[in-house]
Amino acid sequence: MHRAGSIGQGPLRSLFERAMPEKMTAPKDAQVMAAVLKDMGVTDYEPRVINQMLEFTYRYVTDIFENARVYSTFAKKKEMDTSDVKLAIRHNSDHSFATPPPRDFLMEIARQKNSTPLPLIKPYGGPRLPPDRYCLLSNNYRLRSLHKKPKLTVAVPRLGLSSVMGQPSPVGTSTSRVSSPTTAKITIPVSVTSRVGQHSSHMKTSQATLLQPTSLLGRPISTLGSSTSLGDSSGTKRKREDDDYDLLE
Amino acid sequence: MDQQTLAAVLQFLKNNKLKDAEAALRREAKLPDGSGDSGGSSRVATSGEVSSVLSAYESEGDLARYCEYYSSLSSFIESSLDAHKHELGCLLYPVFIHMYLQLVYNRHEKEAQKFFNRFSVEQEDWHQEDLRTLSTVKTREQMEVNDLMDTFRSSKFVLRMSRDSYQSLRRYLKQNEHRELLSILQDHLFIDVFDGVPRNREQVQATSGAMMGEARRDANKVKVLYGLPKEPDINVPLDDDDEGGDGEDKPKKKKQKKDLLLNKNKKADPNAPPPSRIPLPELKDADKLEKVLSWKEGLKRVPLGRENLPSICFYTLANAYQNVSAVGISEDSSLLAAGFEDSNVRVWSLSPQRLRTMRGASELDQLDKEADDIVERMMDEKTAADSWLLHGHTGPVYSTSFSPDREQLLTSSEDGTVRLWSLHTYSNLVVYKGHNYPVWDVQFSPTGYYFVSAGHDRVARLWGTDQFQPIRMFVGHYSDVTCVQYHPNSNYVATGSSDRTVRLWDVLNGNCVRVMTGHKAAVHTLAWSPDGRYLASAGVDKNVLLWDIAYGRLLAEMKGHTDPVYSLCFSREGSLLASGGIDNTVKVWDVQKVFEEIAGSDDLTSLDRASLVEVGSLLLGSFPTKATPVLKLHFSHRNLLLGCGRYQHN
Repeated sequence: MHRAGSIGQGPLRSLFERAMPEKMTAPKDAQVMAAVLKDMGVTDYEPRVINQMLEFTYRYVTDIFENARVYSTFAKKKEMDTSDVKLAIRHNSDHSFATPPPRDFLMEIARQKNSTPLPLIKPYGGPRLPPDRYCLLSNNYRLRSLHKKPKLTVAVPRLGLSSVMGQPSPVGTSTSRVSSPTTAKITIPVSVTSRVGQHSSHMKTSQATLLQPTSLLGRPISTLGSSTSLGDSSGTKRKREDDDYDLLE
Repeated sequence: MDQQTLAAVLQFLKNNKLKDAEAALRREAKLPDGSGDSGGSSRVATSGEVSSVLSAYESEGDLARYCEYYSSLSSFIESSLDAHKHELGCLLYPVFIHMYLQLVYNRHEKEAQKFFNRFSVEQEDWHQEDLRTLSTVKTREQMEVNDLMDTFRSSKFVLRMSRDSYQSLRRYLKQNEHRELLSILQDHLFIDVFDGVPRNREQVQATSGAMMGEARRDANKVKVLYGLPKEPDINVPLDDDDEGGDGEDKPKKKKQKKDLLLNKNKKADPNAPPPSRIPLPELKDADKLEKVLSWKEGLKRVPLGRENLPSICFYTLANAYQNVSAVGISEDSSLLAAGFEDSNVRVWSLSPQRLRTMRGASELDQLDKEADDIVERMMDEKTAADSWLLHGHTGPVYSTSFSPDREQLLTSSEDGTVRLWSLHTYSNLVVYKGHNYPVWDVQFSPTGYYFVSAGHDRVARLWGTDQFQPIRMFVGHYSDVTCVQYHPNSNYVATGSSDRTVRLWDVLNGNCVRVMTGHKAAVHTLAWSPDGRYLASAGVDKNVLLWDIAYGRLLAEMKGHTDPVYSLCFSREGSLLASGGIDNTVKVWDVQKVFEEIAGSDDLTSLDRASLVEVGSLLLGSFPTKATPVLKLHFSHRNLLLGCGRYQHN
């Protein structure tokens, strides 16, 4: 936006001067907001505060009017009137500008809570923490297998698996997943629990990772691969590639 | 309209031969009534007297006389005896407020405006803040929504008056028969009359300023067990000193110091709470070692006094573009935690030792668990750092507190949560949700396990680290609780609030045992003297006030700061008080003088008068920093004063 002064001399200048006066005064809204701030005793504020306040005002008023419009159409009125607006304001204040609970309510709760005796502290309790579900102690991640085994072609186990499954395993690609229907689970977990460390070498087929439905075992085994597809998903989902996951290995 | 009320009103008017008013009322009563009479009856539901019912339905004519009533009251007060003037002067503010509210309530906005403009300037300075909030309430609808108005309407303003002043007030009211005034006095004011000499101006001013007036006498009656419990006998074998307690073969000077510090007096302090009053965590071996080490440090303590001012070591947080909103220092001065407005928390080590974290799970597995130095081996030297950054909060962090054993850190924030962090793994362990509003302050108890948090919801809550809900709730403040401070004996909690009062709460049953008024603006910081008897408080009104908890009275007012004060700390033996604030200075005050005066004249008769101890100026030294507001002050075990602040480079 050029100031009128920078336009230079000439006929264009007068045009610009009429369009934009030399002294740019704040728009009326901003002046009103500045006056409100002054009334409330706020004297020291950054200039951007006025813009933010105006944005807030605009959004609040728009919200109220939208709600009021809804109420008035519901009441089958021709036009919006003050009662709709009042209702919208009350509704809004209940939900968004929640004020702290009233004092007598707090007193009542406090009386109940303060009448219970203080809990006894068990000695030798270690770091005293609430029950696990209230703590942030559990993992929120599961690890993929750390060892990226070379792609073996072990035909036997795979055939065994697919014959158990009773459907053609999606053989075309060597990176297809083996879905584990319920019948297969009998065999897999057994060997898992007995030899955790070596399991990966046994059961690894041409896929680098093996499905391990976590719900069966109760908790994820971090050294085994993880996957997210359970059940028969061969047709619908994209076969996940091994290098889909960017892991620092 | 309530027929019963109408009938009562008509009857009253008839009794007093107010024919015109009666006729007007009958006329109006015939019309369908749309104004909020239910609101009116709920407003005076508490009293339920006819006169109060009437006051809500005041007819037009009387309202213009509110100005008259007020001016006549104030002129009466002016003309009364000097002895009574100051006490009666306290009346004007609550009367003004309630008159204004009544005018607004009865929808006489113009009159209310005129009334306000005329008389608000006559009120005291410290009420101007509340008056400004009041001035935004111009209509009845606004009144119903405003918090402050709710407080005024529902709670009574407390005034303390001597019997003489009270008698003269009654005489005036009887003479002039101002019904409205009477009704206001009955409904909204509580006048606590005491027998004694009326207070003079200084005394009245010293205790005024709180949002709801002064404290009732019975609010401060309960006996407070402020003493410290006897130190337990600890027999931890150390290299040199033997901790048996008898040191006859030691050199004399050392023995004296030792006795004072180890405090192995045989008699228990009568003012101390019994050790089993509240359940406390047991002392583990590590805790006992800690205690012994801190006692040893205490031996090397520099005694401070008015001839011996402390040395100050100031930590300046430079380049902290995300504003620092909180600083906490651990009890043994080895760790510093700063909370920032971008919701991060950073922990630094103040000792030469770097901050280590625990080794990974596989490495821990390989350690020999029976080794003596297992704690040392658990920590990983390779990843040691000078500072650790803690992420987790979703709003500016307003307070930090280290646990006494330095294993855990608590932080509180604007997002309404208090978070517990482990200082072994530098990760967030627990989120305590209870306040749904900004939590302004949090502090661990001196014994660990318990902590208190103070928030915007006007409640201070007591938690245990293994409780996911608060154990105690301290409700009583009229406005947000801005600061908490645990008493050294862990049985009481002091809270300061923006309603300008300081309250003391009993942990055992959650009762408020002391209410102390006198601050003229919000209280932001509190500090206990090491012996647990005296409490210092300071805040936006720039004065540091010293209270005697035994009686709940004000001992001294220390003026000197030119800007709000945000940190206070007593020296380790309790002879000096350091305060720091936004005026970039650290000031040191001689509180020993006050204590000496008290010890000399322990008269209990002057309980009702907040007699300030006459000692002149207590300021011993003022130490300016370079454009750094002081956020935290802490005396180390050896009486070195540590300070911390953020350099403001504008």
